[in-house]
Amino acid sequence: MTGHPSRRQMLWTTLLIWLAALVVSACGQAPAAPAPTTAPATPAPTTAPAAPTTVPAAPQGTPIKVGCSLPLTGAFADTGVWVERGYRQWAEDVNAAGGLLGRPVELTIYDDESKTENAVNLLTRLITVDQVDLLCGGYPGTAAAAQMAVAEKNQKVYVSMGGHMASFSQGFTYVFGAPPLMGQWWYEGLYSWLATLPEADRPKKAAIFTINNPVGAAILEPMPEKLGALGIEIVVNERYDVPLTDAAPLVTKAKAAQADIFFANGFFPDSVQIVKAMRALDYNPKLIAQGVGSIIPAWVQELGKDGDYVFSGTAVHPSLPFEGISRLNEVAKAKYNAPVAPIYFIFGYAWMQALQRGVEGAQSLDQTAIRDWLKSNQITTVAGTFTFDERGLPPPYNYLTQVIDGKVELIWPPEVRTKDPIYPKPAWGQ
Amino acid sequence: MFYELAQSLTSGLLIGSALAVLSVGFSMAWGITHVLNVAHCAFAVLAAYLGYWSLSLWGIDPLLALPAMLPLFFVLGVAMHRLLIRTTARRAHDLGLATMVLTFGLGVVMENGMQLAWTPDPRVLKTAYSSLAFSIGPLIVQAPHLVAFGLATATIGALYLFAERTFMGKAVRAVWQQPMGAALSGIDLDRVTTIAYGLAVATSAVGGVAMSLLYTFDPATHLSWLVYVFLVVILGGVGSILGSALAGLIIGLIIGVSSVFVPLAWNNLVLFGLLILLLLLRPQGLLQR
Amino acid sequence: MRRVVSGSFALPTSDAMIGIGLALACALVPLVTPSAYALSFLFTVFMYGALAGSWNIIGGYAGYLSFGHAAFFGLGAYTTALLLFYFGWSPFLTMPLAGAVAALFAALVGYPCLRLRGPYFSLVTLILGLAMYALVLNLPFTQGSTGLFLPFLKVDVYTSHVIFYEVMLALLVVVTAILRQITRTKMGVGLAAIREDEDAAGTLGVDATRLKLQAFMLSAFLTGLVGGVYSYYKSYLDPSFVFATSISITIVLMALFGGRLTWYGPLVGAMTLSVVNEVLTTQAPPQTARIVFGALLIGVIMFLPDGLMSIVQRHFRHS
Repeated sequence: MTGHPSRRQMLWTTLLIWLAALVVSACGQAPAAPAPTTAPATPAPTTAPAAPTTVPAAPQGTPIKVGCSLPLTGAFADTGVWVERGYRQWAEDVNAAGGLLGRPVELTIYDDESKTENAVNLLTRLITVDQVDLLCGGYPGTAAAAQMAVAEKNQKVYVSMGGHMASFSQGFTYVFGAPPLMGQWWYEGLYSWLATLPEADRPKKAAIFTINNPVGAAILEPMPEKLGALGIEIVVNERYDVPLTDAAPLVTKAKAAQADIFFANGFFPDSVQIVKAMRALDYNPKLIAQGVGSIIPAWVQELGKDGDYVFSGTAVHPSLPFEGISRLNEVAKAKYNAPVAPIYFIFGYAWMQALQRGVEGAQSLDQTAIRDWLKSNQITTVAGTFTFDERGLPPPYNYLTQVIDGKVELIWPPEVRTKDPIYPKPAWGQ
Repeated sequence: MFYELAQSLTSGLLIGSALAVLSVGFSMAWGITHVLNVAHCAFAVLAAYLGYWSLSLWGIDPLLALPAMLPLFFVLGVAMHRLLIRTTARRAHDLGLATMVLTFGLGVVMENGMQLAWTPDPRVLKTAYSSLAFSIGPLIVQAPHLVAFGLATATIGALYLFAERTFMGKAVRAVWQQPMGAALSGIDLDRVTTIAYGLAVATSAVGGVAMSLLYTFDPATHLSWLVYVFLVVILGGVGSILGSALAGLIIGLIIGVSSVFVPLAWNNLVLFGLLILLLLLRPQGLLQR
Repeated sequence: MRRVVSGSFALPTSDAMIGIGLALACALVPLVTPSAYALSFLFTVFMYGALAGSWNIIGGYAGYLSFGHAAFFGLGAYTTALLLFYFGWSPFLTMPLAGAVAALFAALVGYPCLRLRGPYFSLVTLILGLAMYALVLNLPFTQGSTGLFLPFLKVDVYTSHVIFYEVMLALLVVVTAILRQITRTKMGVGLAAIREDEDAAGTLGVDATRLKLQAFMLSAFLTGLVGGVYSYYKSYLDPSFVFATSISITIVLMALFGGRLTWYGPLVGAMTLSVVNEVLTTQAPPQTARIVFGALLIGVIMFLPDGLMSIVQRHFRHS
């Protein structure tokens, strides 16, 4: 190993070149606009319904830069692209309506490849290199939780779905769930609706199967207490890892325990398997409740009739009577050929609106001013009207949904009901 | 308890057969060509998409589309071997290591190509028999599982007969066991490995279709399928056709039994623990002497 | 076989001098107050450099390709994180413990696993990584999948970036120095002998079992150290990330891409892939970026199957 000069020269030249490249790429702020992700080819914007503009004055001045990272490739890309579309729709609408504080907004959205680590680094990049004026939120909960810590350290307002209750209990002051995707509140609507049923009609025995991830843990947390209050006994309560290799044992256990209410607190792939196994094993509980998989478009599109009658929860919904929702539905149909606006499209739009309200309320881009304004005022978004406590959360709420004839209908609270619930669930195939 | 066990075992074994057919090609390519094809399951997911496509666009069941897919995947495998692997092999000091990086890159390209082509949305195959089930006494067997089992049995059986009974198959085995001796006895090494490679990728198509009958899939799914493949190969032994079949069934068996007797959350730990133990006891796979 | 290469404790040779110079230059970078992002990006580059380097001791030098180094990384990360979470002990002090826990685990599993050769060793380590993930997910005191939120370093953001940058740089220097030193000692020769022909190495008087175990533990120790710092840096820890198979694979990829037979190969691989990935992420649309990245791996490996650094060696051979 004592080395030959020419070899050593080669080595060090290479190392030096790389070091130079490193420094350039890390410090280089040269490219004025780091080519942000362009939305996949969409039909010309003219086909989209026009934004309800009241002041068509063109925004002026230097653009307000808004930036975030989202999983646009990899395991969470299916949801990530819809959040991105929500963000972009908001930007389009704001710019068409005269801008934010009269200035145009410009989005920089990086792809974090569904990796938490990249999400953290890219958020730091947005704050310190791109020097964005505002941050937008990441996805999923693990990435959001990690990014919340970064935003808090840098004292930047961060509006997202959050990383469930734990992430809002860390004393962070700049984070908001507006609205949050709060696992702990997931079945609030379901509990309230069950309480209105006569005691004799309520299910008696619950089987609960929960995905072993932060969302699952959050959904499960309040369940024993809430179900106990309803007089429902928990006969099976287990957690499972994904990928779920075989759903049959879960269903067999629930069936053997004669559970008449079945909770599949999971994601799309595992819940699809569970529902298929339930049908095959002809297990007919009175009620099937599912976690966060049945409110995404794929559930009804891909599962068809077998996906019917499943209950779930949501914090936003395309049939809610809030201003702007019907337009989002039209946009989703015209631009993306979706029957209604998908949940995460609305979520993305609503988070940006919350941020927008804060900026307009504070009349400034000062992060502390925005935070303080949001904490002391009521805001209205496509997801409804919110006030925030010191943790950045609105009061607990969630809607109850049920898939009926291939559509996600609202069941509870009664004032937003779009269809009467079907309970008990009809036997499979009927 | 007995009923639960029997039911879990039934479905576990059928699922295990799907894992076996997904893995057998990977194992064969590794054994014969010393190539660790990390993109193996990306091919499988591609086949799942093609099956989904033929069903949703033309109403042709993936099983009927499979005969058309097999030659296509065979050609893909041959092309991959000729264009990528052979070029690398000429320069590589350690082909196994080099191809690992190479096929990882291929997997990344394929995953994102599929995402461009079919969006990242998850897919579920809805065939005419998707929600059918048969009862055997108190036991219930899901039709898609049974179809997957049939596909696996036919494919692995055919592969086994090919390796044992045909001249080409014997040549393939010879190349695997003693490359030098095989070359001396006049076997065209290059041709044999190319064919083995084509076959390996063709079986990934069968594996992909079998898996898509049981599971949802999206472009990123190939990585989680790959973990199953590793589990099967580690247990069955690299290059062993029957070993893969047996290993798939054993994994299904372990999952079936452990999901009845241990909390579900510990199932993976039981599976991994048992595999590590088995591997330490029989370091060269189940069937190798 | 006593001292194959003489002078390992003599004055450092010129490549070491340059290396020390470069390290010092890097250590002084914060003086010009680069953006916090530059620091955090370099932190990640250094981290992967240190991880790939640590991996190389067992994976590159000894030829035992571990696919489960995320287990050591995650163990290290959880060790310091739990000590901080429950007792408030600073990870900068408990770091050695993180390494020790990882090394202890390596000793426990290494003895039986290192008997396996070639692909079987790779696969059993892969499964070990998965098993550790499943274990930490279900242990009562790790907060399972919810993850651990850790207190921040009690300084302003920029200073904390500087501190973590310097610490990770120091770790990288340590790892690289060890990696270089190994090639000049009996251990390096022994490991090379094991890699080329383990049975023959035995007949030459190399105690293969012991040497492999030492290399495995050293590799795990260094990986654990890096993990221990990482958890503090990130301040939110969940098992799905620190035990991810993708980390194990990334490390292997970087080392192989750079060239595993030299001490600088893994470092070069980690730098190259990090920079390329970063440039692609920020400059190209998402899927295109990934496709280009994959194509680059294919292209480079087709023509340089033994890694980027084989150019240097090839140049040496022809000159």
